[in-house]
Amino acid sequence: MGGSGFTCSAAVPGSGTKCKGESTPDGRGGHLSRGPRASAHICELVSRCSLQGGRDLDSTANMSDGEEATNHLLDMNLHESQGSVQATEGGLQSESEHLHVTIGATVPTGFEQTAADEVREKLGSACRISKDRGKIYFDISVESLAQVHSLRSVDNLFVVVQEFKDYQFKSTKEEVLKDFEDLAGKLSWSDPLKVWEMNSSFKKKKTKRKKTNQNSNKGKTDNGQGDKKDERDVKKELTSSASETQILDYYENPAIKEEISTLVGDDLASSKDETDERSKEETDASVLRFRVTCNRAGEKHCFTSNEAARDFGGAVQEYFKWKADMTSFDVEVLLNIHDNEVLVGIALTEESLHRRNITHFGPTTLRSTLAYGMLRLCAPQPTDIIIDPMCGTGAIPIEGATEWSNCYHIAGDNNALAVNRAANNISSLLTKSQIKEGSPSWGLPIDTVQWDICHLPLRTGSVDIIVTDMPFGKRMGSKKRNWNLYPACLREMSRVCRPGTGRAVLLTQDKKCFTKALSGMGHVWRKVHTVWVNIGGLHAAVYLLKRTPQAFVHPSEQDGERETPW
Amino acid sequence: MKLLTHNLLSSHVRGVGPRGFPLRLQATEVRINPVEFNPTFVARMIPKVEWAALLEAANTLHLAEVPTEPVEGYECDEAFLRKMHHVLLEVEVLEGTLQCPESGRLFPISRGIPNMLLSDEESES
Repeated sequence: MGGSGFTCSAAVPGSGTKCKGESTPDGRGGHLSRGPRASAHICELVSRCSLQGGRDLDSTANMSDGEEATNHLLDMNLHESQGSVQATEGGLQSESEHLHVTIGATVPTGFEQTAADEVREKLGSACRISKDRGKIYFDISVESLAQVHSLRSVDNLFVVVQEFKDYQFKSTKEEVLKDFEDLAGKLSWSDPLKVWEMNSSFKKKKTKRKKTNQNSNKGKTDNGQGDKKDERDVKKELTSSASETQILDYYENPAIKEEISTLVGDDLASSKDETDERSKEETDASVLRFRVTCNRAGEKHCFTSNEAARDFGGAVQEYFKWKADMTSFDVEVLLNIHDNEVLVGIALTEESLHRRNITHFGPTTLRSTLAYGMLRLCAPQPTDIIIDPMCGTGAIPIEGATEWSNCYHIAGDNNALAVNRAANNISSLLTKSQIKEGSPSWGLPIDTVQWDICHLPLRTGSVDIIVTDMPFGKRMGSKKRNWNLYPACLREMSRVCRPGTGRAVLLTQDKKCFTKALSGMGHVWRKVHTVWVNIGGLHAAVYLLKRTPQAFVHPSEQDGERETPW
Repeated sequence: MKLLTHNLLSSHVRGVGPRGFPLRLQATEVRINPVEFNPTFVARMIPKVEWAALLEAANTLHLAEVPTEPVEGYECDEAFLRKMHHVLLEVEVLEGTLQCPESGRLFPISRGIPNMLLSDEESES
């Protein structure tokens, strides 16, 4: 690693001066700056974030290191990040106690801001929202790692190894791939790997607790295999007889599914080879297995994601002497390429189980991260009455009762199967918390009713919030049906919703029909905000509506013939 | 079905309007399900509750004495709040019926879930 020292010209925010600290490469792809106390703070931030295009890389950087630093800083929105960065003089803090890392999270596209709000609320960290939609980044100290897993708006988490804001791709495929190969050996892997390690042991602890509580007859060392068989059997049963409602419900419960995807070791969460008897507790003894997942988006790349994954992966294997294994892996290295942004990360969660199975158990089940985002959008206040009048299997009210337990939730649907499933999912949730907390089953502030959305059996103006996933024309119901359904829904919802303070958050793919239905209801509904989302490839919208102060007037009480809204 | 839910439910049989509240409750099977006590929640919920309807439902189920109206200074009266917490959130009607006071139409409650669906003729057009 060559490169001589230089003067850091990073800007000190709010002062208009430059750092002017002496910077030297730190031998790990970043640089170290020492300067006057005020700017030392900033330069440490820059070096910890591994300034892109550092002297060590072969790729020709067009900008000077200083300019790159400035761009990076501006992008980092430093003012807000300062709170979460430890102010120290001089060198990098690499002892575990003071370890700070950048975490990346995938969130439902469109809900980046609500996810950022949750991060700020629960972790105190500011977020950077990526141009690559559906991703947010934030800095934490490793002590907060456990809390990161409690975030409800994130689908998957990873620790950032290095980010390149403006990666310079060479012109031929051979050169680009060679660069990726060379990259592996130049990255600062040690801190992110420490985080990965902590994260794995944290997951193992949870797994042990879950398994011990399942009343296994076998000894502790056998627990892994014994329960593995049980769960595998259940899973087999699941795929063969879908009429087993009980088991189906257990798996369909979004809360439980998420638990499985992040707690249980690799053997259950992904489609593993079932002969893998290797105990999870013996990881240190054996060689780590890994895979590289590459996601590539952009018009101008001359290579494919497979090629990049293959060559980068080959170099990683060389460097660490790990074993490559696509299905049964300990470490998942992420290589995300979005136009000129390149990110190398290490996954901290397995792919969420419910998303993989969503076509299996019901194509319309809403994933709980989206349900959470929708609920958060309407800012529930303590004692708010929150209803989902087309609840399906109850994803939204269940998420609501879990996260906003100081509100009261009602799940309603006209379909008997749906309400029964919702009620079962709620019971499963209670059972789960019983296992987890080891406490008697506490009921939750949630109830289920079978009703018709167009004739809600609720007192006028008694509901504070309505959150629901309205039927999509393509997957359920039909476009023609929506034409009649949407205005009737909006009317009835306006009746039960509390004037002045009430609000509604409605998800729909049939934006045209919805907008038309809404246009005749300006006296009761005011559209406040729209979030564009992507549901399994379909472009949908989430509308936040506020109920106007106008009291609902029953049509029969109006003078003359009421004109139909169409 | 919890009593707080009952307090929100109203019959929507055609022509009934606001006279569809409150639904007359009859229970054949009831379960008590402990719910974590949150005094602030209960205190703030009380003004939102239709008291007469709650009183009637609680009496039908022979629950602990519910006063004819909230006691003075109820916000700080823990015994009162605990009692109301129990009545509103911990009592679940598993089997029974809800009856429209105006039309007499019965809605069944089964496995804790009230079925409020009407036939097309019965509901408002």
